[in-house]
Amino acid sequence: MHLTHELELFPGHKVTQMLFKEVKNAAELRQCAVEGKINGALINPTMLVNPFQVLVAANKAVNSQNNGKMKTRSLYSEIIFNLSPTNNISEAFKRFGCSDGDDSVLVVLIHNEDESQLLADLTARVSGRQVPVEEVSSLTDHAKVKKLYKVTQEEEKSGTLLDAVVCRMAAKDVM
Amino acid sequence: MAQEKSMAAIPEFLSKAELLKQGAEARVYRARFLGRPTIVKERFRKQYRHPLLDEKLTHRRTVQEVRSVLRCRRAGISVPVVYFVDYTSHSIFLEEIVGSSTVRDHIVSSPPSARCEGLEPLAERVGQVLARMHDEDVIHGDLTTSNMLLRCGPEDEVSELFLIDFGLSYISALPEDKGVDLYVLEKAFLSTHPHTEALFQRLLKSYAAASKKSSAVIKKLEEVRLRGRKRSMVG
Repeated sequence: MHLTHELELFPGHKVTQMLFKEVKNAAELRQCAVEGKINGALINPTMLVNPFQVLVAANKAVNSQNNGKMKTRSLYSEIIFNLSPTNNISEAFKRFGCSDGDDSVLVVLIHNEDESQLLADLTARVSGRQVPVEEVSSLTDHAKVKKLYKVTQEEEKSGTLLDAVVCRMAAKDVM
Repeated sequence: MAQEKSMAAIPEFLSKAELLKQGAEARVYRARFLGRPTIVKERFRKQYRHPLLDEKLTHRRTVQEVRSVLRCRRAGISVPVVYFVDYTSHSIFLEEIVGSSTVRDHIVSSPPSARCEGLEPLAERVGQVLARMHDEDVIHGDLTTSNMLLRCGPEDEVSELFLIDFGLSYISALPEDKGVDLYVLEKAFLSTHPHTEALFQRLLKSYAAASKKSSAVIKKLEEVRLRGRKRSMVG
């Protein structure tokens, strides 16, 4: 149900995504992440179009970390920051991070060893139902995504919403 | 040590990728990136330039390329998606347009007898796309039929026209710059595809019809034809 992808640019770095629905303890999870008890990024899945979007953010985060060019304090906060089209950190957290009342959450982990233990630890913390990561597309709030990334109607005619979003994420530091 | 090793992540990755082309400005590779077929354009270091100047120019061109791609996308022009940009190795990771061929190959492979009439719809498409690009004030800077890709749609629908290689592009609203952009294409077009004057006229006609500011541009084009690409700097 989870999705693991080894980053081609950084052999040994794997990105694992897990999606939970009907989550009852979002506030508690968020608190754990803030305190560093959860080694992962908690993302609001309604702002995601596709798991590929998370891979793009994670790859960029690992690259920034290696180059010593991170804009935020940790690798996981950097992933959330990279998802946002703007350079405002607190806004990125507000829009893309998990909020206390959320009933669904997407968890991103970056690891180098086998993931099974990490996954088990995390699943134990979440009181919710795990679903395949691909289902994130059914949770997308399209209107909100289009508004936040400022996707024009013309652009949607020539490419997908995912294309538009990924382009803005990749190009945001030069806009 | 660890820092040094990690800094080389992209060169290391590219050393195993398939080299497609090497130009004066950059090397182009094909690889899989985040699970997708990807084209990587790496602007390498020029030994003949002062390191500081080299860094500055290379950085600016990388940034400019990304900006123009995004600007075109916003206007609904088909250009490859940018997946990732690394400003340390000056590499751009772009979507590979799978199953496409260049407009150049398309024209060359069509039978000479049909070269003008059969290709008219294509010439018109090119004209329209360039009109839209110029209306957004994007100057491509290197328009050739090799920098345009055609991808056949599902069930042999109308094929989609992509513009690629914005490495020399910039933003300008001047009819002069747009005129020169078209002039460069005209030169390239007629020299790669001899006896296609009528076809190129078709392209210009559809450009003129589609662009809102075309009359000034076409007038400039006529001026540029007489004097060449560079403005005369006499006196």
